[in-house]
Amino acid sequence: MIKSYKFRRVLANTFIYILLAVLGIIWVSPFAYLLMHSFRAESTINVPYLIPHEWTLQNYIDLFNVGGEGGSAAINFPRWFLNTLVVAIFSCIISTISVLAVSYAFSRLRFGARKKLMNIAMILGMFPGFMTMIAIYYLLKAMGLAQNLVALVICYSCGAGLGFQISKGFFDTIPRALDEAATIDGATKNQIFWKIILPMSKPIVVYTVLTSFIGPWCDFILAKIIMGDKRELYTVAIGLQSMTSAEFINEYYKQFLAGSVLVAIPITLLFLKMQKYYVEGVTAGGVKG
Amino acid sequence: MTFVEYKQLNPFQRFAYNFKKFFKNIPGAVGRFFKGIGKAIVKFFKTIVNGFKNYGTTFAKGDWATKLSYVIFGVGDISKGKIYKGILFFLSEVLYIMYIIFFGWQFISKFGTLGTVETHTVQKGIIKQTVFGDNSMLILLYSVLTIVITIVVFAIYIANIKDAYKHQVMRENGEKPTSFRHDLKDFMDGKYHITLLSFPVLMIGIFNILPLIFMILIAFTNYDKAHMPPGTLFTWVGLDNFTSLFDIVNTPKKAKTFLELTEWTLIWAVVATFTNYILGMIVALMINKKGIKLKALWRTLFVITIAVPQFVSLLLMNQMLQTNGAINVLLTDISHLFGGTERVEIQFLNSSTLMARMTVIIVNIWVGIPYTILSMSGILMNIPEDLYESARIDGATPFKTFTAITLPYMIFVTTPQLITQFVGNINNFNVIYLLTGGGPTTEAYYQAGRTDILVTWLFTLSMTSQDYGLAAAIGILVFIVCATLSLIIYNNSKSMKDEEAFS
Amino acid sequence: MKKILAVLLAGMMAVTAFSGCGGGSTESSGSESGGGEGGNTSVEVKDDLVDESVFGDEDNITLKVWAPDKAVALVKQQVEDFKAAYPGKTFTKIEVVAQGEGDAGTQILNDASVAADVFSFASDQLNKLVDAKVIADVAFADYVTEKNAEETVTAGTIKNTLYAYPETNDNGYYLVYDKTVVSDEQAKTLEGVLEGCKAAGRKFIFDCGNGFYSCTFAFTGGVKIDGFEEDGVTQKFTEYKEDEAVATLQAFSKLMHDYKGVFTSLDVAQISSGFSTKTCGAGVDGSWNTKSDQDALGDNFGAAKLPTIKVNGEDKQLISMFGYKYIGVNAASKFPAASQILALYLSGEKCQKQRAEQLGWGPSNKAVQEDPVVKESPVLQAIQQQSQNACVQVNIAATLWSPMGNLGNKLIADQTNPDDAEFFKKLLQQTIENVRDEG
Repeated sequence: MIKSYKFRRVLANTFIYILLAVLGIIWVSPFAYLLMHSFRAESTINVPYLIPHEWTLQNYIDLFNVGGEGGSAAINFPRWFLNTLVVAIFSCIISTISVLAVSYAFSRLRFGARKKLMNIAMILGMFPGFMTMIAIYYLLKAMGLAQNLVALVICYSCGAGLGFQISKGFFDTIPRALDEAATIDGATKNQIFWKIILPMSKPIVVYTVLTSFIGPWCDFILAKIIMGDKRELYTVAIGLQSMTSAEFINEYYKQFLAGSVLVAIPITLLFLKMQKYYVEGVTAGGVKG
Repeated sequence: MTFVEYKQLNPFQRFAYNFKKFFKNIPGAVGRFFKGIGKAIVKFFKTIVNGFKNYGTTFAKGDWATKLSYVIFGVGDISKGKIYKGILFFLSEVLYIMYIIFFGWQFISKFGTLGTVETHTVQKGIIKQTVFGDNSMLILLYSVLTIVITIVVFAIYIANIKDAYKHQVMRENGEKPTSFRHDLKDFMDGKYHITLLSFPVLMIGIFNILPLIFMILIAFTNYDKAHMPPGTLFTWVGLDNFTSLFDIVNTPKKAKTFLELTEWTLIWAVVATFTNYILGMIVALMINKKGIKLKALWRTLFVITIAVPQFVSLLLMNQMLQTNGAINVLLTDISHLFGGTERVEIQFLNSSTLMARMTVIIVNIWVGIPYTILSMSGILMNIPEDLYESARIDGATPFKTFTAITLPYMIFVTTPQLITQFVGNINNFNVIYLLTGGGPTTEAYYQAGRTDILVTWLFTLSMTSQDYGLAAAIGILVFIVCATLSLIIYNNSKSMKDEEAFS
Repeated sequence: MKKILAVLLAGMMAVTAFSGCGGGSTESSGSESGGGEGGNTSVEVKDDLVDESVFGDEDNITLKVWAPDKAVALVKQQVEDFKAAYPGKTFTKIEVVAQGEGDAGTQILNDASVAADVFSFASDQLNKLVDAKVIADVAFADYVTEKNAEETVTAGTIKNTLYAYPETNDNGYYLVYDKTVVSDEQAKTLEGVLEGCKAAGRKFIFDCGNGFYSCTFAFTGGVKIDGFEEDGVTQKFTEYKEDEAVATLQAFSKLMHDYKGVFTSLDVAQISSGFSTKTCGAGVDGSWNTKSDQDALGDNFGAAKLPTIKVNGEDKQLISMFGYKYIGVNAASKFPAASQILALYLSGEKCQKQRAEQLGWGPSNKAVQEDPVVKESPVLQAIQQQSQNACVQVNIAATLWSPMGNLGNKLIADQTNPDDAEFFKKLLQQTIENVRDEG
C-alpha cells in the first residue's frame, strides 16, 4: 500500500515535471526567438526558418551609432534609454511616496471622508484614458511643461495614489497593537509611520517601487503625444514603437529586436532579484486587498 | 443556514449554495448601491442649505473683522492674531482674482457657446496671415479648470469665514489662537491624514479628475471630424452622441456595433479572467507542490513575460502569428517531419472570427498567467501548515485536502483580485490593439473589427476617424458599468467588511 | 492644512497661467491689412528666390523644418544654401527635425503651436489640415502653378486656393518583381505575374487588408473616389456600373483562390524580406521601400506599373491610389513670410533635382521630370506610368481606409466563393455605405 502510494507520487511528480518543462519552453520560446533574431544578419523582417543563418552584432552596434556614418537622425537609442531611466527613477520615487502615504492614511488613520475617498479613488482608475490624454497635454502646456521630461514624470506618477489597494491591504495586516503601544509612549502618527510601519514594510515598498519603475518602459501612447517631434526626448517605448512604423520597419526591424532585448535585460534582472519581495507584497496585500 | 450545517455540505453543494447566495444578493446590493447614491445626493443638498443658513447667522453675529472677512479673506484671522493663516487666506484671494482676470475669464465667459469667433485670414504684404479665432477645445478645458479652481476657492472662502468666527468666539471666551508651531505639530499627528493625502489628492485632482470632467463634457458636444479646432468651432449638442449609440432607426450601424462589441467585451472579460485565474492556479499548484524541486527556476521561466515590456512581447507575437511568421514556420517544420510537403499558413489573426478570438485569448493567457502564478504562489505558501497537518492525521487523501482546504482558501482570498482583473480586462487595450488591431475586419460594423472591444473601438474612433464626441460617450458608458460593478462588489466583499480583522 | 494647500493650488495655477499661456490666444488681433482687395498680389520669383523685401519686417528668423528621416541630411544642406541666398537677412536658427510625412498632419493637429513652420506631408492629410485651418495658403501660387506638373497643383488646390507646395510626384505603389522569377513580359498581366511566381514556388505579396492598397480592387472596377460631398466630410464616389465593378471584384477573388498559396496578403514590409529569403517573387510595394527591395534583389530588381487583370475576357489596367508629397507652411508660424519663402525654395527646381539624384524621389517640377536622372530610372518611370492610372489621394475621408481594407480581406478569405455574384454586390454596397458613414 505504502509502496504504491509512493510510486503514485513519483509518477505524479514526473508528470508535473514534464508538464512544467513543456509549459516553460512555450513561455520562454518567444523570447528565445527574440534574442536569436536580434543577432540575425540576413533579411529584414521575417525569415522562413527558425534559427538565423548568419549571426552578427551589427544590429546592436547600429543602435549606438547615433548620427554617425550610416546612422540615422531619428534613432538615438542611448539617449532614449537614459531618458527612460531618469523618468523611471523620478516617477518611481514620487509614485512610491504617494502610494505609501495614501495607503497608510487609509489603513491606519480614521477620518471623516475616508470611505468616500476610497470609493472615489477606486473608480477613478477605471476611466479609459485616451480621451483625457489631449486634455493632460494642454494642462501641462499651460504649466509650460509640454515636450519636457518633467511632464512625463508627472504623468506617470500623478495617478499613483489611486493604486493604493494592495499596499493598504499589506498595512492592514500589521497589528494595530503596535501603533497603540507607540502612541502610549508618546509617538506621533508621523513617527509611527516612519519608525514603525515603514521598516516592517520592505516587501510592499519593493513591490511598489518595482511596479512604478516598470511603467515608463512600457507606455508609448501618452508619451508620444507629449513629446511630439522632440525625438531626442523620446523614451525607449516610443522609440522602439516608432521603429516598427511603416517608415522604419524595413530598415530597423532587427534593431527593434535588439533594442527590445536591451530593454528587457535590466528589467528582467531587476525583477528576478526582487521577485521574493514582489511575491510577499502582492500576497500580503492581495489577501486583504 | 448555520455554520455547522454549511460545514456538513459537500463541496459541490457548498458551491451551489454560495453561487445562489451570490446571485440572490445582487438585487439587494444594487438596490443598496442606488439608495446609497440617492442618500448621498440628498445629504449633499442638505449640507448646502445648512451652509447658507450658517452663512447668514455667522454674518449677523460676527464683529467687524468677521464681517470684513466676507469680502476680504483672512481679515478675521489676522485681527485675532492668527497671522500666518490670515495671510494665506488673503493670498489665495489675491491669486484667485489675478487668475480670473489674466487667464480664467477669457475662457469661462465663452463656456456657454464654446466660442463664436471664427478663424480667418488677413492680407499682410503679399502674405496671407491666419488669425486664429476661438479654440473650442481650449475654452472647454480651461473653463473646467477655472470652475474647479473656483470651487476650491469657494471652499477656502467658507473656511475663512468659519475660521474668523471661530477665533472671534475664542477671543470672547478669552482663549488665545494656537501658535504656528502647534498647528504644524498637529499636522504631524492628529491631522496627519491631511499631510499625507494632500499631495496625492492635488496630483489626482489636476491630472485625473480635471481631464475626466473634460472628457465627460466632450460627450455632449459635436467635437468630430467636421468640427476640428483650432480651425472650426464645436458646440453643445446635448445627448446626440448617446442616442446615436442606441438609435437603431437612424444610425443602425453604430447601434449594432455598440451592441455587439459590448457583448464581445463581456465575453472577452469573463473568459480572459477565468482562463487566467484557473490555469494560473493550476500552474501555481504544480510549482508549489511538495516534492517538486527547482521551484525558483520554474517560477523564473514564467516571470520573464512580466519583465519584458508588454508592447514588445505583443508586437513580437503579432509578427510571429503572421502567415509567414515563426509559428507557421514551426508548424511547417513539424509537418515536414511527418512527411508533409505544403507550407502551413494558418491565418491566426485576420481570417475567421473564431480563430482570431481564440488566438487573442490564448495570447492573453501567455501574457497574464505569470501574474496569477506569482500572487497564487505567495498565497499557497501562506496557507497555515496546521490545516494540512490535521487533515493528514484524519487520513484525508491529497485530492480531498485540495478540495477541502486549498481551493476554498484560495478562492476566498483572491476574490477581490478576480474583480479587479475582470474590470482590467474590460479595459484591456494592449492585447487587442497590438495583437490584432481589431481584425478580422467586417463590413457589418462601423470602424471596428471582430475582436475589437469597446476601449479599442473608442481608440479608433478618436484617433482615426476623429469622432471624439462619440468616443467620449462610449467611454462614459463603459465607465458607468465598471464603476457600478466594482463599487457594489467591493463594498460587499469580505475584506472590506472585516477590515479590522487583523487589528 | 486643507486650506493652505488650496491656496497653494490656486497660486500655482495662477503662476503657471502667466508663464505658460498668458495672452496666447489674443495675439495679433489688430493686424493691419495691406492688400485691401485681398486678391493675388503677384511677386516676381526667379529661380525659386524672391526679393528680400518680401520678408517684410521679419528678421532674426527662427524656423523649424520637418523632413522625413532619410532626407534630413540633405534638407540641412539645402537650408544652408537657402541662408546663403539671402545674405541680407539674419537667420538665428533653422532647425531640421526628423518627422515622417505620414504622421506630420496628426502632429500638427495635436498642437500647431509647437509644430514645424515648414513641413513635408503626404497629400491625404491636406484636407484635414485645411479644415482645421492650420495650413497657410501658398503665397507664390502663380509661380508654383507654372513650374509644377498640373496634377500635383490640382490635388493641392481646395476651393480654388492652393494650400501647399508640391514636392514629389511619387507617393504610390507599383509592381516590384524578381526578374529571375517573373519576366518583363509576364509583369504586364496579373495572371502572368502569378503564373511566374507559381512556377518558381514563390509568393506574390499584396496587402489586401490595408485600405491604401486594396482600394485598387474597387477602383479597377470603376468605383472611384471623387472628393467630398457638399458637407465636406462624406466621401463622394464617381458614377459606376455595378455589374462591371462586381465582375472585377469576382475576377480578383477568383485569381486569389486559383492561386491560393501564391497570392498572399501580407504587410508590404514583408516584400523585401521575402525577396532576400527567396520566398517572394513579386509584390505591390510602395515607393518608400524601393531601396530595401533593390538591396534585396540587386541586379534582378524589376519595376513596372501595376499589371492588368482579365475581366470578362478583357484586360483591365489596375487603378491604384496615388498621392503626392507637399511642403506646407504652418498657419501658426511666427515668421509667416520667411516660412513661405523657405517652402518655396525647398520645393523648387534645384532642391527637387538634388532629391531625385540623391534620394531617388520622383519630382513634381516639370523641368526636373525631364531630367535624365528621372527619365532613366525604371522605378520612377514605373511610378510615373502608374500615376496615369490612379485615383489621386487627396480629399480622403478618414472612414475610407478600414472599409476598403475589409473589402480586400473578404476577397481573399477562404470562405468566400468567387462565383457568388450576389455576395460581392452586397459587399460592395456595404463598403460604400461604411465609407460614407451612412447608418
